[in-house]
Amino acid sequence: MEDNLITLLLSFKYPVMRQGSLAADDVYPETFFTFWNNDETGESFYDNKTSSVLYDFSINCYSTDPSLAYDLIRSARALLLENGWIITDRGHDVTSDEITHVGRGIDVMYLELQN
Amino acid sequence: MGKRNTLNLELSGFNELVTKLEGLNGNVNKVVTSALQQAAETIEEDTKDAVKKSNLPAKGKYSTGATENAIASPTVTWSGTVAEVGVGFDYSKDGAGGFLITGTPRMQPDRELQKMYKQKKYMKAIQSDMEAVVQDEIVRIMEG
Repeated sequence: MEDNLITLLLSFKYPVMRQGSLAADDVYPETFFTFWNNDETGESFYDNKTSSVLYDFSINCYSTDPSLAYDLIRSARALLLENGWIITDRGHDVTSDEITHVGRGIDVMYLELQN
Repeated sequence: MGKRNTLNLELSGFNELVTKLEGLNGNVNKVVTSALQQAAETIEEDTKDAVKKSNLPAKGKYSTGATENAIASPTVTWSGTVAEVGVGFDYSKDGAGGFLITGTPRMQPDRELQKMYKQKKYMKAIQSDMEAVVQDEIVRIMEG
């Protein structure tokens, strides 16, 4: 599921990385996405087997341009919804450790049926 | 009062029990206050545990204690029929609560806080505790 999320985010042509993966001395790209897998749990069970799995991710966009960060999160939300993701969140601010960048985030889920 | 974290609780089961309690002429205000207060105190204690130095990045080497001081002390308030309680971090105070929950591009989220604030399992347990408070009162009334 992580691959699917990364592929969709990469279609915006900005770097995509796992939250916390940037080294302390790495420079923030001007605009980029991060993601983090909050949870991955069996959601339903049948005949002693997991019949569906719920994936829960946080997606964040950091940018030197605040309006771009907002726009990209809105666009990412629309794209993920089109691709079967479940999103109740409309977006929220996230803290950036660089004063030059603002952060905007959204929590997204995907229910995968198991064969 | 500064902004607080949002925790998502699915309260339909709780609401059903409150309706039942109301039907039995129970003291809804008192019982809901008690359920919320207990839930918020649990969250407060668990948040304090989650920001112990052993759970922080670099084992708390850079911790000043400000994050722990920014943990909200819960008090239930009522506005008409709506009860409210603040939990988590008070963002009007100094501290790194927000950073620790979401992480940053250079820092992974704090695992213990993330379990509480981002995973469903924790909130389900809190919900269940709240329902138990109301359920106990219903049983007490019914048994006379």
